[in-house]
Amino acid sequence: MFAKKSFISLVSLVFITPIALSGCASPESSQPANTSETTVETAATDETGILKLVANGEDFVRQGFITKDGWQITFDNVFVTLADVIAYQTDPPYNPDSDKAIASKTKVFLLEGDKIIDLAEGDINADPLVITEVKAPTGMYNALAWKVVQSDNGESEDQAILLKGKAEKEGKILEFAIAFDKELNYSCGEFVGDERKGIVKDSATAEMETTFHFDHIFGDAEAPTDDAINTDSIGFDPFIPFAKDGKITVDLATLKENLDPATYQTLEKAIAGLGHVGEGHCKKMNND
Amino acid sequence: MKYWLFLLTIAVSGSALPAFSHGTDLKYRPVEAMQIQANYDSGEPLKNARVTVYSPQDSETPWLTGNTDENGYFLFVPDRSLVGNWDIKVRQSGHGKITTIPISDRTELVNTPQQWSSQGVYSPLQKAVMAIMGVWGFIGTALYFSGKKRTKTNART
Repeated sequence: MFAKKSFISLVSLVFITPIALSGCASPESSQPANTSETTVETAATDETGILKLVANGEDFVRQGFITKDGWQITFDNVFVTLADVIAYQTDPPYNPDSDKAIASKTKVFLLEGDKIIDLAEGDINADPLVITEVKAPTGMYNALAWKVVQSDNGESEDQAILLKGKAEKEGKILEFAIAFDKELNYSCGEFVGDERKGIVKDSATAEMETTFHFDHIFGDAEAPTDDAINTDSIGFDPFIPFAKDGKITVDLATLKENLDPATYQTLEKAIAGLGHVGEGHCKKMNND
Repeated sequence: MKYWLFLLTIAVSGSALPAFSHGTDLKYRPVEAMQIQANYDSGEPLKNARVTVYSPQDSETPWLTGNTDENGYFLFVPDRSLVGNWDIKVRQSGHGKITTIPISDRTELVNTPQQWSSQGVYSPLQKAVMAIMGVWGFIGTALYFSGKKRTKTNART
């Protein structure tokens, strides 16, 4: 009797564990972002316009915000090393929640190689950063693949993302320099926002946007506490133990070593979920 | 995420008003509509989310705007003469998504609800594990009852 119960329990564990581990749909895919590049068809039009690539840290970066645990955050610099940005015309439209790769009809390299950008550049009302402007065949560019890679120079050398700024709460002010060396590879669908982007008309300029949601890391005091933006973020408190002489200087390796595993895992997921196209989510691809 | 269904509409017609004003003529006819269901990943509906519909004819100017209901549903009647991709944008509080509904002149129309065409698909691993779990459910149930039966038998002896 006991043996049979144990057998049932054991087999149940074997079957249930993968379900618990898999949870919701996997945010990461082993499928390369540009699987269909070998079958790319060029647009059958001679008409061209300009495709402008912009990077946007949104008002969270430009104007600052209050984290879910009450820290007023302002950024001096948000260095990101953007790389290998490709715009696609796809049919059918790419769905980042599906297993299907981008079905490219036309692709345009918006950024070959990498470029360090500062998302906090400009004043609080600054427009998104213009990265490149390239000539492109007319049509609807409804998918975007892009990467964030480690920088090989500058202030953010060896890091993919470097956040510099100030955090203030109840009269306590801390400077911070938080560095992430995690490289990111995204495959995204169409921009989702007030307007539609990526529609290139003859002799006209259209825009495509890489968007970064840093509230995914720190949470947002303006959102309900049970909103995913708060339940899936770590806030700013976990960085406080790394403060020394009023300044927090920390990298991902140090965080991994010192944060409790659950908090670090939440941080890792939040970093992976930084990349968007406006409000549209992207699929996180493997980096190889 | 889509299915065709019959929708009864009530038309408030002012085109055939008689000589006396303020008269109202109510008519109805069955039409075919597209229903959108908008949920968060958690399954919670996007209540009262902003919906923008773009027809195949104009991808920049909204063909229709509206809001989802309390259950995340939005119903609209596309112009069947506009064949091609209909893009539907749903947004709420910084969350948003665009889905595309291809409508051709050969699109079959059905009058009964079909399975939702889902954007949130399961991975092959998840599908396999779910299938195995289903099979194990039957085996486990059988083992449970066979064990119970044997226990009762043992208790009697």
